[in-house]
Amino acid sequence: MIAQLRIDDRLIHGQVALVWTKELDTPGIVVANDNAANNEMVQMTLKMATPTGKKLLIRSVDDAIKVFNNPKGKNMRMFALTNCVADALKIAQNVEDIDGINVANVGRFADKSEGETHQVGSTLMLSDSELEALKELTKLDVPVFQQVVPSNPKTSISSMLKK
Amino acid sequence: MKKYLIASHGHLASGLQSSLEILTGMGDKVSVIDAYVDDHDYVPDIKKFIEQLNGEVGVIFTDLVGGSVNQKVMLEVVGHENVLVISGTNLSIVLSVILEADELTKEKLNGLISQSQVQLVEAPNENSEMSDDSFLE
Repeated sequence: MIAQLRIDDRLIHGQVALVWTKELDTPGIVVANDNAANNEMVQMTLKMATPTGKKLLIRSVDDAIKVFNNPKGKNMRMFALTNCVADALKIAQNVEDIDGINVANVGRFADKSEGETHQVGSTLMLSDSELEALKELTKLDVPVFQQVVPSNPKTSISSMLKK
Repeated sequence: MKKYLIASHGHLASGLQSSLEILTGMGDKVSVIDAYVDDHDYVPDIKKFIEQLNGEVGVIFTDLVGGSVNQKVMLEVVGHENVLVISGTNLSIVLSVILEADELTKEKLNGLISQSQVQLVEAPNENSEMSDDSFLE
């Protein structure tokens, strides 16, 4: 089961990964990212950022969905990461067992050629297609919120979109 | 009340605050002293920080053991058992302390410090590819 699906444009990074895996009590981290799944250099940096003692799996989005739906993983608490909303939406539409989706940091390093970005919060800068994906995400039957670190309060994404 | 103070020679303190803000949005959790960037006497700032703790546990991060900033801090901290001082501060220890959810004790702090050391980093050479099955075990 996915204890939390986090959208973070840096995927795994340092202490933030450490506090979240501790907070969520997740022995396994799954990075669902097509680029990372095919790029050994990115894999190396992700391995280096993985907290000691945690298992890491790097898969394309489609392959990650298979892992999440594998009956063997039903009782395993997993911390899932994507770096964009569209990937998270695809996972949320194809996986049933997700406790919550944390839209933490998006779009800050994105290619700006796609046109104007929409600032939804201080750490969310979304292109048109990402904004549409986020709206779709909030329609699903899963809590969708923003919480950068565990000591921050959870802010619902629906309320942020209304602003 | 602020529980944390970073005090450094020059702009390291406000620089660490900036990094903290970018990584966690918690830059406002710390007070900073950038010493010697102007003629400002920073000792009253240290006193004020300790006073506003009102006896609760607080942490002061300094840059160099034995440096003048650290010396001034130590002089003010004497007699305040609730204030813990960390020196040789790096971003890693600042993050670890601020993100720590449990109450800070000396033992807890020593644990965080041992996990926040500077280190020589080398690329992992194992090419161990994890299978779905071994991950889900």
